[in-house]
Amino acid sequence: MANIFGLIWNEVSKIYIQKSTWIMYIFLAVLIIAVAAITATTDGANKEYGEDWQEELQTENEALTEEMQEEEFLVDMNTQKIEMNQYHMDNGIKPVSYDAWQFVIENAMLSSVISLLTIIVAGGIVANEFRWGTIKQLLIRPISRTVILLSKYIAVLIFALITLAFLLILSWITGALFFGVAGGNPELVIRNSEGIASVTAIGEVISGYGFKLVNLFMMATFAFMISSIFRNSALAIGMAVFLMMAGTSIVQFFADKVWSKFILFANTDLTIYDSQIGPVREEMTMGFSIGVLVVYWIIFILASWLVFTRRDVAGQ
Amino acid sequence: MAESAMELVKLRKKIGSKEIIKGLDFEIHKGEVFGFLGPNGAGKTTTIRMMVGLMGITDGDVRILGKSVKSDFKGAIREVGAIVENPEMYPFMTGMQNLKHFARMSPGVTKERIKQVISLVGLENAIKTKVGRYSLGMRQRLGIAQALLHSPSVLILDEPTNGLDPAGIREIRKYIRRLADEDNVAVIISSHLLSEIELMCDRIGVIKNGELIGIQSVHEQQAEEDPERQIRLEVDPVDSALRVLKTHHGIDAGEDGGFITFSAKKSLMPSIVTSLVSGDILVYRVEVSSASLEDKFFDLIGENVIG
Repeated sequence: MANIFGLIWNEVSKIYIQKSTWIMYIFLAVLIIAVAAITATTDGANKEYGEDWQEELQTENEALTEEMQEEEFLVDMNTQKIEMNQYHMDNGIKPVSYDAWQFVIENAMLSSVISLLTIIVAGGIVANEFRWGTIKQLLIRPISRTVILLSKYIAVLIFALITLAFLLILSWITGALFFGVAGGNPELVIRNSEGIASVTAIGEVISGYGFKLVNLFMMATFAFMISSIFRNSALAIGMAVFLMMAGTSIVQFFADKVWSKFILFANTDLTIYDSQIGPVREEMTMGFSIGVLVVYWIIFILASWLVFTRRDVAGQ
Repeated sequence: MAESAMELVKLRKKIGSKEIIKGLDFEIHKGEVFGFLGPNGAGKTTTIRMMVGLMGITDGDVRILGKSVKSDFKGAIREVGAIVENPEMYPFMTGMQNLKHFARMSPGVTKERIKQVISLVGLENAIKTKVGRYSLGMRQRLGIAQALLHSPSVLILDEPTNGLDPAGIREIRKYIRRLADEDNVAVIISSHLLSEIELMCDRIGVIKNGELIGIQSVHEQQAEEDPERQIRLEVDPVDSALRVLKTHHGIDAGEDGGFITFSAKKSLMPSIVTSLVSGDILVYRVEVSSASLEDKFFDLIGENVIG
């Protein structure tokens, strides 16, 4: 089995030797810097708090209360702000200014770009070998087709992880350059389904990105399956991207049907169990969703494997 | 008898209800160059794809050094190097990157071995160039280098001369002969052009409509000092000439548009002509064909091999 590392190395290096991969990384880098530049120029409410931050928050709250007595439409917004400030004071957590960590947390939305890039790689990794004709050279080695397919799947996952690391590190560096660093792992106060809570920055990064990875993982596996069954990268990428975009609408459309809870996209966003929105159907639980995801994953992998290992490799 | 390197045992392939390969049964020996000849669509590539496990075998088996492709794929394929159809490599990688890529897929390929195959096919200067910029001839050579990396006992080349100029064909012929003669490799070469493989093969098997219709040893043919040749005579009168041939030489000649045709050894011709002339037959023309393999194949296939 020492061989499989060589195979994975082969597959990963084939991904990174291609120019198109580097273009994707440049695209991602430009996006991160653009987001930072836009945030830096528009976010004026970035307030720094001094030594006597508790007094500062107190006066801020008084001002906010006055303001909402005059302007009725500000009530909701200001109440929330007051509650947050109160939480800071009650728990003795000094508010930190917007910094690299918070920029990284906000960039969790860019993980959908990583999903897109991973789908592109996953959709091509089997289909391209057929297009180049090199599949014949791969399959006439003393290695089973199962191991070849496995090495390709692992290479896709490695690509996703490297790209995720790239997003995290570059976001942090860009954030540090634009907004500075507030500390090694600052404590943040956020609002979730249970109300206001304090979290550490690194914890928030892990959970924020971690949940997004579920969707990435499932769509990449889906694209991989289409790629190995139909040997057509455009079809694989197109279908996966379309479903990724339209997934939520599809679920909403069928929300009143009992079976809608079995649709993949009703289950890919596990954060719904931790937010006020909630799942598509009331009876759904986190465990149910994980079960559905596992079943889909097994189907995708099994279908890829059955077709790839059995079908004849004939001429184009 | 030479040792067998590859054995086809009643090999069959069915796609749907159509039988494409109808029971191929032959063997290829070590150190032999075997030509696999047949018109396009005869089933050459399908057979080769079954030999290397790209296509499933419907019935029968392929054995490489006694190991079955069906039941011991890894053991069998370890002994095989192949180019199936075109020598396709990754165009965005250099020749060296391509070779290293494939070296990682076979056990025990050393750096020295990679250098060795590069120098064997004479690609030292181009090895750091991207394959996308290679000419077809260079790609063909890289393909051979790749197929030889793991020192296989059997080398399979599917239409290796396709798209090559005469100089390229000569070069390939040179490598192949050396591999068979010096390294005792069994080489299988498919082609639809007899003229291109005739010079490098020891034996040629002809396939048509999925059936093997004959195997011909090239050396036997050349070794025969005075082979039977096609003779065509323009004589008058034809019927008495036929009688003379029958009675004096025991030849059953045929008549073909005023000509008499039969096969005979060249050395017999003077005495045949003498007996015709002494029988008062006018001999206007004597044609002796230069017997080539091509005629044999026309006979075997019943049509032009080039098809």
